[in-house]
Amino acid sequence: MPLKTLDLSLKAVRVLQDGSNPPEQGLLLPGWYVDPQTGQHIFYDPSSEKFYTLAGGVYIPLGYMTPAPKQVAVAPGDRLKVTISFKYTGPAITGVTGYYCLGVYGLFGFDEKLVQKTTFNISQVVSPPASPNVSDSFTFTIPADIGANWDDIYVKIFGGSPGIAGEVTTPYLFGYENALTIAGIQPNITEFKIADFARV
Amino acid sequence: MTLDIVFEPMALEPKTFNIGDKVRVTVSFKYVVGVNTTVKLLAGPYYTNIFGKHLVSPCVGQADIPLSAASTPAQGTGMVDFVLIAKSLGGIDNGTYGLRVWVEDTNAIAEQDNVLIVSGNTGGGDTFSAMLPMLMMIMVMGMIMPMTRQMAEGVDEE
Repeated sequence: MPLKTLDLSLKAVRVLQDGSNPPEQGLLLPGWYVDPQTGQHIFYDPSSEKFYTLAGGVYIPLGYMTPAPKQVAVAPGDRLKVTISFKYTGPAITGVTGYYCLGVYGLFGFDEKLVQKTTFNISQVVSPPASPNVSDSFTFTIPADIGANWDDIYVKIFGGSPGIAGEVTTPYLFGYENALTIAGIQPNITEFKIADFARV
Repeated sequence: MTLDIVFEPMALEPKTFNIGDKVRVTVSFKYVVGVNTTVKLLAGPYYTNIFGKHLVSPCVGQADIPLSAASTPAQGTGMVDFVLIAKSLGGIDNGTYGLRVWVEDTNAIAEQDNVLIVSGNTGGGDTFSAMLPMLMMIMVMGMIMPMTRQMAEGVDEE
């Protein structure tokens, strides 16, 4: 497959994936592209209309991570519940896989540290719902060896019968950056001051 | 791990101590830690010269401070004692010193210059230590001389 160079910024990719602007005709060709700002190789899939990048051995679409609306403080032994919800219209689906991941999101994608899967069913919905009508969740137990930078989360859904998407190519994924504040094994000390000193 | 330390004006008043005094230092701080743990708190006097700040190591004291797991900032306090050891015993000289307190293996540190005024070292002690090497030499010579005299007398008799 030929390697193509595209005058494209990641910001433009986000707009494209948001669906706010229709993709240009020149971007519809499938293949590899190079982001001129980062030099990163990205793959465009016209069927899903998304760009993909390599992370942990799989290709995941760009632009799926957003800043977390809040931060949750966690420590080893704590239980962290991650809940997803979405609007669904269509036939009933059985055996949908929910893929929950904690890790480190960086320049080269998402480094998955903790991964858990759930399986859930979706009932038939004939008219578009006004609010999210499907939800699923998983509760992580924070391990003792959690890294101080394992503060990113992403979730995706795929599979099922009839299938909604493949595991690697699913467009149904979403993540938060800096969603967690990790209290690790080493203490983090602030406001350290001498209160008093005296002879005893 | 990056630790953010916020210094606040300590405004500690200088205090006078005598050699042999035990000084108790109390610190306060906030911390976050994922598991129950124990940190080592150390404190001691330091002096400043053109080469920088230097701890008077023989006078540094330490104490273990237990920290309960806290995922949100918790208030912590700690106390550590140190003894002002006499100069003649390798300790601290008379003068004015700073006070430094820190937590081992972190960058939590607090210090203030010129708050420890130390006195009580006697001049006699210093004179004795200065004369000690000479006294040792005289004692050794005192042991060697009789031995050499005996050996010389033994040779003459033969």
